[in-house]
Amino acid sequence: MAKLSLMFENKLMKEVPIGARPVTIGRSPDNDLAVDNLAVSNHHARVYYEGSRLVVEDLDSLNGTFVNDLRVERATLHDGDSIWIGKHHIKVDATADTALPFDSGRKAAAPKINETMVLDTKVRRDMLQQAAALGERSQFSPGRLKMPTLVVLSGRVDQKEYVLTNKLTVIGKSPMATVRLRGWFKPKVAAQINQRDDGYYLGTGSKIPSVNGAPIQGPVRLNDGDLIEVSGIRMNFIFRE
Amino acid sequence: MLTKSLEGDVVQIVSGGVTDVGRVRTNNEDSFRILEPLNLFILSDGMGGEAHGEVASAMAVETIVKYCSDPDEGTDETGVTLHGAESDHWAPETKRLRNAVYQANFNIYQSAQKHPEQRGMGATLTVGWINGTKLSIAHVGDSRAYLLRTGGLQQLTNDHSLVAEQVRRGILTPQQAEESEMQSVLLRALGAHPEVDVDTEEVDLMPRDVLLFCSDGLTRMVTEPEIAGSLQAETVPMAAAQKLVDLANDRGGLDNITVIVARLEDESKGWFSWLRRDPGKKA
Repeated sequence: MAKLSLMFENKLMKEVPIGARPVTIGRSPDNDLAVDNLAVSNHHARVYYEGSRLVVEDLDSLNGTFVNDLRVERATLHDGDSIWIGKHHIKVDATADTALPFDSGRKAAAPKINETMVLDTKVRRDMLQQAAALGERSQFSPGRLKMPTLVVLSGRVDQKEYVLTNKLTVIGKSPMATVRLRGWFKPKVAAQINQRDDGYYLGTGSKIPSVNGAPIQGPVRLNDGDLIEVSGIRMNFIFRE
Repeated sequence: MLTKSLEGDVVQIVSGGVTDVGRVRTNNEDSFRILEPLNLFILSDGMGGEAHGEVASAMAVETIVKYCSDPDEGTDETGVTLHGAESDHWAPETKRLRNAVYQANFNIYQSAQKHPEQRGMGATLTVGWINGTKLSIAHVGDSRAYLLRTGGLQQLTNDHSLVAEQVRRGILTPQQAEESEMQSVLLRALGAHPEVDVDTEEVDLMPRDVLLFCSDGLTRMVTEPEIAGSLQAETVPMAAAQKLVDLANDRGGLDNITVIVARLEDESKGWFSWLRRDPGKKA
């Protein structure tokens, strides 16, 4: 697997592997390669795979991104290239076979931890970064935040769209419902949506909702574009950029 | 205590809590408190060598009790830095609860600084406070709050653990997280730093809702469908809490187990209320 090595005056500052997700470079500490220098923009550039090609892309940085000596907006990278950002440069190693501390997370290679412990900020960031280099899909990835949204297709409700902002969203006639149903004989709580770590789950209320035409058996994780039907209401669940 | 729902129904809140050392540990580092007059439910899971986990969790609980029951507490400068200019929409009680958690964090941190033997002690803290129909939650760590409503169990808190963060980032599936040996690694806890990020949440409650607060000693041993089943089968809160503790112990009781159950019982005498009477209810 390819890796990037952040160098300052021929001193190795940090190495990161390049996985399925882009490696971000910038001054802000949320970058995979955080470069603490005022010449570097907060989110300066990123490096990622496009098919089998490794690509660097400048993110409208103030002082520019250089590959070898050439200022680029976007360029294909080759083994041995250097990306220059301010006074730092990043060596591209497209052949390296980097050992990673997490083998996609099945069983962590770390010793068994029975006692609860708290990670300090630096260790935490490193661990999450290494792990993030392997992750591919994420509904909650920072940067391109996607808002979970219910778009009403038909039925009597008080709005056309609802952005889900709470841990719990109630669909029903109750005055505390987010998606407020109208009409006689509508249940107070027809269904509920619970935000959990890995996504949004639709659960039953006093009705059994359907997802894409099939009545749910228990809480069901919603995917982008799912059709929800409950108590005479049809809605699409989408992630909106 | 009585509270009133939005529809005007009178709702009686009944609650009970149980804490148990489990089958493996020799000391119980969990602490909890139910303040019935305030409808305040506090649960904390301590960590740190010797007996210091107990010190930390007790300190967390005591700070919340003091802060929420004394109207003068926290109205002046208490030495706690409040995070950011939070132009937020939260109810005053929710903000107060969050400030109480900042204070608890600071007290634990300061104590650990003063007493070198307490270095490294910390605690989780999950607090629920019901005012009218609104439940305010403040939360740090991997203890949890759940809501059982119309048979479905909804998780009201996010764990601040490494594995949960990896699930949120799409690196682990929830199943992989459950099998991970890194489950005990927390990203946030009280006492580690002078400041802490506190999650807050508000939920509008309805008659017949059931709230559960628990330490990870329960959720690592007992599945969510089992928790939902126990809460539905046993309507006396104290008995339900004991049943869940027993279940966790039957599975090995690897950690301290603490469970608080609070039920909102519909006391309204309106039309048809006799139809909704719970046949198993013991007054």
